[in-house]
Amino acid sequence: MIHYTNSVEVSSGDGSIGRSARYRKSASLLLMVIGCIIVYLLPAWLGGSTVVYGLFVTIAILSVMALGVDVVLSYLGEVSLGHTIFWAIGGYAAAIPSTTWDVNGWTTAAAAIALSVLAATMLGLATLRTREFVFSLATYAAAVVVAEITFNTDALGGSDGIVGIPPLHLPFGIADFTGRSSADLWPIAFALLLLSLGFVARFRRSRLGMQALMVQMNAPLATSSGLDAHRVRFLVFVVSAPITALAGWLYAYQRAYVGPDMFDMYFLTMMLTSIILVGTRILLASTIGVTLLLIQQNYLSIGGDGNKVVLGTVLVLMLVLWPKGLVRLIVDAIKPAVRRRQTVELNDGEVSLRKESARSR
Amino acid sequence: MTEILSARSLTVRYGGNTAVHDVDLGIGAGRMVAVAGANGAGKSTLVNALAGWSRGYPVVSGDVLLDGQNISRLPPHQRSRGGLQHVPEGKNVFSELTVEENLALVRLGEDHAGRFLFSRSEVIDLFPRLHERRHHKGSALSGGERQMLAMARALLAGPRILLLDEPSVGLAPRLIGEVLAVVRSLVDRGLPVLVVDQNVRAVLEFADELYLLERGRIVGHGSAASMKNDDRILKAYLGDLAVKGDLQ
Amino acid sequence: MNVAQQAINGLVIGSGYACVALGWTILLGAARLVNFAHGQMYMLAAFICWFILTRSGIGYPLAAAISIVAMALLGVGMQLMMGRLVMTQNLTSLMIVTLGFGYILQGVAGLLFGGAPHTITTELVQQKIQFGDVWFTSQELLIFVVTLILYGVVWLVLQRTRQGAIIRSVAEDPKLAQLFGIDSRSVYIAIFVLEAVLVALAAVLVAPRTPILTSMGFEEVIITFVIVVLGGIGNVGGALIVGMLLGLFTSFFGALVTPAYTTAAIFAVLLAFLIAKPEGLRTR
Ligand SMILES: Nc1ncnc2c1ncn2[C@@H]1O[C@H](COP(=O)(O)OP(=O)(O)OP(=O)(O)O)[C@@H](O)[C@H]1O
Ligand SMILES: [Mg+2]
Repeated sequence: MIHYTNSVEVSSGDGSIGRSARYRKSASLLLMVIGCIIVYLLPAWLGGSTVVYGLFVTIAILSVMALGVDVVLSYLGEVSLGHTIFWAIGGYAAAIPSTTWDVNGWTTAAAAIALSVLAATMLGLATLRTREFVFSLATYAAAVVVAEITFNTDALGGSDGIVGIPPLHLPFGIADFTGRSSADLWPIAFALLLLSLGFVARFRRSRLGMQALMVQMNAPLATSSGLDAHRVRFLVFVVSAPITALAGWLYAYQRAYVGPDMFDMYFLTMMLTSIILVGTRILLASTIGVTLLLIQQNYLSIGGDGNKVVLGTVLVLMLVLWPKGLVRLIVDAIKPAVRRRQTVELNDGEVSLRKESARSR
Repeated sequence: MTEILSARSLTVRYGGNTAVHDVDLGIGAGRMVAVAGANGAGKSTLVNALAGWSRGYPVVSGDVLLDGQNISRLPPHQRSRGGLQHVPEGKNVFSELTVEENLALVRLGEDHAGRFLFSRSEVIDLFPRLHERRHHKGSALSGGERQMLAMARALLAGPRILLLDEPSVGLAPRLIGEVLAVVRSLVDRGLPVLVVDQNVRAVLEFADELYLLERGRIVGHGSAASMKNDDRILKAYLGDLAVKGDLQ
Repeated sequence: MNVAQQAINGLVIGSGYACVALGWTILLGAARLVNFAHGQMYMLAAFICWFILTRSGIGYPLAAAISIVAMALLGVGMQLMMGRLVMTQNLTSLMIVTLGFGYILQGVAGLLFGGAPHTITTELVQQKIQFGDVWFTSQELLIFVVTLILYGVVWLVLQRTRQGAIIRSVAEDPKLAQLFGIDSRSVYIAIFVLEAVLVALAAVLVAPRTPILTSMGFEEVIITFVIVVLGGIGNVGGALIVGMLLGLFTSFFGALVTPAYTTAAIFAVLLAFLIAKPEGLRTR
């Protein structure tokens, strides 16, 4: 019902159209709920083995991880290479308190959020005025340095990391959740994914989301119309951090271990590739991308180094051949001439696609 | 009359917007041809398309012939090397390079047939200011000096034909005549020139013929003398009430 | 602490840094290109050199030369793939593409050379030159001298030759350069090949000092980044000076504080700079 108060009725006067819009809204809501239930039950239907649950939980976790980067990439147009820091913060925030003081999952999650926001604030302030490759390089450098510090600091487990993280324990008042295996963790991972997607969906419609888009489209115009571009960029960056951190938090419980390998290039490449594979400004991009990539790595694996080559090649080829991502590619393939003829002069994206393919050299 | 450069059904689109529509035109040997039209009429788009060049992403169709050879498929740097010298509107010299370096970038191709070769000293004679400022960076030049530098580099490249887009922009009224007189002197030596300029009155003093462009289409063409009496030109550019750069 | 020895070490480290950074400085300054694969190209060049040295009777100079040629070819290939993105100056996509290339190179190197550390053994590393109580190896002297020569040559070429002017013109305005008869696309390829060659040269010179791993390359990118930013983007002279200063900083920080956190300390310097003087980063 929250949905209704939220939605903007296009035709305030005409009740019948308003009603049909409302029907459509409830229908899509219903479809979404059914879709969620199906996805939730999917690992059980697929045999319910440890491997299947493991894959599903990992997909959910890495999707959420990439979602944080997606927010920055899609809404600021900037490439953050520093999100592995937040990812690792989430992991360590789960590991250290739970192994030292045996606190429950809520506490560690709160720590993950707080610490990642703090780190994002610091990094965001330091890189406030930087753009494009300087921003990317600065965030990248920060990640490498934090990795080095983690690696060399005994209090953080040093190069060995931290082992023996207890099972995730989440008291819900009436009932407690305690889980260790992937099958146990699946409800939590799925809930985290839904929550994150919901959060980002809300963010897209929020003032900040709109402002971020304006700043990305035309920074000088946005500034001249009274927007503080620096502030918007900073806030979006800070907002994106806890998303990735919570993914790291759950990842720590799934593996029962954290270590400096959370800074591995693998995660960074995964974040970027999953989004670029599917396309920016698509809510489910990271989920679909991560799913495709993990299926390759799990079922069509050609070894660790071989998978690196695959992942890197996917990234390079997508950007070189179809920079708009798979979704655009498929949409353009399914709706060919008709759509093109109708919208060529109106549809912005279509025109820019044509520009790119038909440039005179 | 042999045409050195000609366009056949040249059409240029930016996205869905057709900026130049089915244009045919030709520039004969030793002729100075002007293109006039309001702001946004498509003049720059037209000359840029002749040079195969643009700062945007236009879609060009139709043919461009240089000395009878179809060059429509050649990239701009090859057209330049072939003697099609274009001085675009706006930024047309390198501001990080000195005058000397700007000029030194240009190299004559191997094939000199049909090309007008200018020695360094001839070019300096035409634009003595450049010699005085040869160690200055492009960014340190005045607008007029930049125009001179841009023309000088085009001449040093051994043009077969010269395309000039707004060569008089930003010049003092007295200088406009001077620059156009220099251009005319080149034409008198045989070099064909296509010039786009807002100062139609001044241009008509020097040019041989004129094309009138309106919303991407050629709506008038004739000798300079006849076009001086053309209604549209009179009304838009030469009449006492003429507003420069009238927006149709 | 032996101050003179630390200073020598610092200059050696610094010339290594500067050497590694040179190609990227040109690439970034002249072509606005960022190359995140820089570190992995360094790694790959070092491994090719090591591989040739250990699997054949070929000597160090020739092995180094082969490695450089191989990297030049790789540079051509990479640039051909990125061609359209480069011409449209799509810097964000380019950056991610090079990141992808870096990841591919890491994977390929892992497949070819495995994960174990190796050392490139050259005779020059074993030759010690002693003056009183300071010493350095012939290899280190070579790094220092070659770096100075390279910087001198690059500076001269960029500032004093027509080829240099062409590179600078394409850097400023690739579209306008076309009207001057310059094929901007080939110039970009040339610049990228230069980057590949210079990073390969740096690798075969500097890598023999330390064990090599297929997972290395990140520090090289960071240090290069710091050098390029602090030295002024595209400023060759600035890069040399900053490289040397960073070397001295590394050496003394390692001796006085701890060697474990040197990269972090260097990065702290950079952050201070980013906060204090962000306008120093404008790319014209
Ligand atoms: N890069 C571009 N991208 C999209 N549209 C463009 C571009 N350049 C020009 N146009 C459009 O093409 C049309 C013709 O522009 P053009 O610059 O050729 O006019 P012009 O006659 O040279 O005008 P002016 O006298 O102001 O120089 C205009 O409607 C303009 O908006
Ligand atoms: Mg114009």
